[in-house]
Amino acid sequence: MKTMKTKNLIVALALGALSLGSFEATAQQENYFRAIGTPHKPKVEIAWNRYYSAEGLWDWMKKIAAAHPDLAKVEAIGKSVEGRDILTLTITDFSTGKDTDKPAMWIDGNIHSNEVQGAEFSLYVAWYLTEMHADNEFVKQLLKDKTFYITPTINPDARNNFFKEPNNANTPRSGMMVLDNDGDGMAGEDRMDDLDGDGHITMMIRKSPTGRYIKDPLDPRRLMAVGPSQVGEYEILGQEGTDNDGDGQVNDDGVGYYDPNRDWGWNWQPDYIQRGALKYPFTLPENRSVMEFVMKHPNIAGAQSFHNSGGMILRGPGAEEDVNTYNQDDIRIYDAIGKKGEEMIPGYRYLTVYKDLYSVFGGELDWFYGNRGVFTYSNELMVSYLYFHQQSGGRGSQDEQFKVDELLTFGDAYVNYKEFTHPQFGTVEIGGFKKTFGRAHPGFLLEQDAHRNAAFTIYHAYHTPKLSILDVKEEDLGGGLKAITATVFNERLMPTHASQDLKYKIERPDYVTISGAKVVAGFVVEDEDMKKFKEQKFSPEKIAVENVPGMGAVKVKWIVSSGSSYSITVDSAKGGKASWKK
Amino acid sequence: MRKFLLTGLMLGSLLGTAVFAQSDYPTLSQITQRLQKLDGNASVELTSLTKTEGGKDVYVLKVGTESADENPAIAVVGGVEGYHVLSVELALQFAEKLVADHEEALEKTTFYIFPNMSPDAYEQYHAALKYERRGNAVAVDHDRDGKPGDNGYTDLNGDGMITWMRVEDPMGEWIPSKEDERVLVKADRAKGEAGKYSLYRESKDDDKDGKFAEDLKEGIAFNKSLTYKFPVFEPLAGDIAVSQKESRAMLDYLFEQWNIFAFVTFSPANNLSTPLKYSAGDAKKRVITSILEKDQAVNAMVSGIYNETVSQKAFQQNNQGTDGDFFQWAYFHFARLSFSTPGYWTPEFKAKTNAEANLLAWSDSLGQEVFVPWLEVKHPDFPSQKVEVGGIKPFAASNPPFDKVGEIAEEHTAFILRLAEMQPKLEFHNLKTEDLGNGLTRISVDLYNNSPLPSHSEMGEKSRWLRKIRIDMDASADKLVSGDKIKLVDSLGAFEKTSLSWIIRGGGSVTFKAGAPHAGFATQTVKL
Repeated sequence: MKTMKTKNLIVALALGALSLGSFEATAQQENYFRAIGTPHKPKVEIAWNRYYSAEGLWDWMKKIAAAHPDLAKVEAIGKSVEGRDILTLTITDFSTGKDTDKPAMWIDGNIHSNEVQGAEFSLYVAWYLTEMHADNEFVKQLLKDKTFYITPTINPDARNNFFKEPNNANTPRSGMMVLDNDGDGMAGEDRMDDLDGDGHITMMIRKSPTGRYIKDPLDPRRLMAVGPSQVGEYEILGQEGTDNDGDGQVNDDGVGYYDPNRDWGWNWQPDYIQRGALKYPFTLPENRSVMEFVMKHPNIAGAQSFHNSGGMILRGPGAEEDVNTYNQDDIRIYDAIGKKGEEMIPGYRYLTVYKDLYSVFGGELDWFYGNRGVFTYSNELMVSYLYFHQQSGGRGSQDEQFKVDELLTFGDAYVNYKEFTHPQFGTVEIGGFKKTFGRAHPGFLLEQDAHRNAAFTIYHAYHTPKLSILDVKEEDLGGGLKAITATVFNERLMPTHASQDLKYKIERPDYVTISGAKVVAGFVVEDEDMKKFKEQKFSPEKIAVENVPGMGAVKVKWIVSSGSSYSITVDSAKGGKASWKK
Repeated sequence: MRKFLLTGLMLGSLLGTAVFAQSDYPTLSQITQRLQKLDGNASVELTSLTKTEGGKDVYVLKVGTESADENPAIAVVGGVEGYHVLSVELALQFAEKLVADHEEALEKTTFYIFPNMSPDAYEQYHAALKYERRGNAVAVDHDRDGKPGDNGYTDLNGDGMITWMRVEDPMGEWIPSKEDERVLVKADRAKGEAGKYSLYRESKDDDKDGKFAEDLKEGIAFNKSLTYKFPVFEPLAGDIAVSQKESRAMLDYLFEQWNIFAFVTFSPANNLSTPLKYSAGDAKKRVITSILEKDQAVNAMVSGIYNETVSQKAFQQNNQGTDGDFFQWAYFHFARLSFSTPGYWTPEFKAKTNAEANLLAWSDSLGQEVFVPWLEVKHPDFPSQKVEVGGIKPFAASNPPFDKVGEIAEEHTAFILRLAEMQPKLEFHNLKTEDLGNGLTRISVDLYNNSPLPSHSEMGEKSRWLRKIRIDMDASADKLVSGDKIKLVDSLGAFEKTSLSWIIRGGGSVTFKAGAPHAGFATQTVKL
């Protein structure tokens, strides 16, 4: 066995030397090779095993737009609380039509500032589509048909705070607006304190004769509770920090607190019902800029929001009070795409927010669907399944995390306990997991999970409506009249109008228009075989169709008195445009 | 000379009233003039919060002393409905009377007066074409057909007013009322009554969809677009709550005024003639839709005071809130005590049960012409049917003749001032200092809310937008042997106390302070 290995090694080395020699001989020869599924020699080289600040993200976005001027544009759609841009990439094949004329997919990440990797995942979609376009027929066709609006971070201020200031894995979560959390009339006067100066807010413990914990003799990083009749050595004091405002509480008035994902205008409820809500829907300028952009882009038919963590593909309703908002027709479509997502992203489960997670009023995904009729998912990125490919239930256990840090990250994820003199507690020990571990992916898992989630949003975008006009037939009615019948076909899963949209008439109808013919009467065909037609008396040349269902068709019919060369167009807000010409 | 002066003064004040209190409700520019005049007073600060889509200022008057922010405050709001022109005048006259005749009230209470939240809609009262308008000047597609505002009203009879049109129609639902044949009521089909008329607002079917005046040339109604029970997608409400410049500007302002403990809104809703009802089931749901039990008791008490102060007896006052309105928002979502009254309604007259018949009988008795007689017109959408235009004139049902406003304003001013007298009032009582020896002193004291109102409404206790009562002891940490340097108390009920004590080391004196902006502050200094 051993000699065998040595032999192989020698052969490999020899081959290596050979190839090196040939490289020197022919300078043009490639020395790296295309891997399936990944853009080869991308114009913009991005390392997908690290995280980027808001400015770092924007830099990549601008580089993508500069490298692919026919496929990508970058624009600021608004400003954050601290005045940073909310930067959005528009990705489509501009040579085949305006972005607003095509069904579109909205993608954002990082609404919760500590849920950082949503930004990199969003950016990955933009990078993958633009860099893959030249080599891949599917992507080429996709960008002919569809538009992607991608906003990697909709919380840039607090994203930077998460990385650059002391935090734990769960903070800040809100944005950088500072409110009075303890009700004492002062805002943000007792924030977390990074006593050991390492940028991570970890735990404080203290030796105590009445403590109920000891350090595990086999692993001193781990605190364990003693038995009911045993005496311990340590007490847990809580999060790293001091009582800055002298009210007897540690860290009780930090950044925020509010929840940017309780600020959206569908079934919005105030803070006493839905903790984290602000004054009224879209109090936050970051969310307001998204809302205004979406209102101005009725072509957005699908939406994806990236959060962390737990490995979930979530759909609404966020609150049980909204159960009737989501009806069976639409849930069928949600299920079809969501279940495909479970296959594409191992370890992720397709779930419904209110019954599988917790109840939320004023969440982003409910606004997109309830208020705009847009099919929307929210993915909770990172799942402990990715560590050892074992189901341990979403966010994983602490034991597993210790094992990961022992076997896969070799101590990089943990701050070992160290003594520190605390102004209120005396001698304490400070240590624990770093803010970038647990909820965030370790570097070696980032690219794969980004690709899988990107593939899911691409599948979702693919199934926004695609309309065509086909099977145009003429019938001579005598007396100079003829009947023209046309079929508008939607060859994708999603309808042009979600049933929520139809219920409230959120979006205008689809218009099927004939030009170049003198129209006497116009109809929507209800049943062609039984000759059931619904007449539209007012402007019959422009038939208003309330919906073109997914994988379905609508027929329209005109009676015309003249016109031998005419054209027929369909114009749908979420379904795009198509035309037919005789 | 003195006599002349006196006469002059009397004349001046008479004239003053006569000149400014004109014969009709004021125009927007007259309102602005009166606000600017008020602004000349030292206790008044006039601010324009924003301009509406129609380019109109939305004003707030802050009236108070130098310590205005430390005093509990009442917000008085008018013009939440543009057609309710009375409400604007009531808010304005309250401000004028407060400054002119009741300055002593400002020693303890601050007032925020929002005279007109719907200036775009208000303007319709003085426009060439008069109609009861609710929406602002934003373009809105109320019927959601893709084209905003494409089926408003049409003045078919050319009288400069929008009333109603009735169409003779055997399939119609309406018949003349037995109480007054000018008035139409729904035929009682359960009793076999056939209808005679179809009834529409005075309009044409401009967008040819078979509906009349369903896509008005007005925008979002302030009083239908706030967050409590926001009627999403309904006409005049829009897609998103608090979407308008005026509503956002007002709320942004209110959320900065921590001292407001109560609202008095002049609007069609009425919880002053009769208090809101408490429903245990609705109060216990996650999304609360009933006034809470303790707040209901406060509402009942304040309603009693209203009925003592205001002479008009309630008649058909059934509106206790509508979806998306302001007065319910102020309670359910802003967690302040919130009271609303229309200020005026047609009194009960000659036992008429139909509101319009009652209004006509009452107006007839006063010799006022509030009815446009039915008059036949040619209507393009009903070429072969008889169409008549007529009905009660716009504004007549909710706004009294202007000469009645003075008395209404007087009584409502008195009511608001009585409410101000009841405001939460924190006081220290039973102060005791005990020498414990060795330089230690124990201080004990009761903090007492000497008011029939609680420091926090029951709803307010739940809200992060009311501050807790904060008690500060200024002794330095090394002198404070026991007791809290800072203590927060969630609330103090009406005439409720909480007991405090500290042990202090050393001599000199210490000061402690307790309060919250909306409940006022008490301060005490003790020599050790």
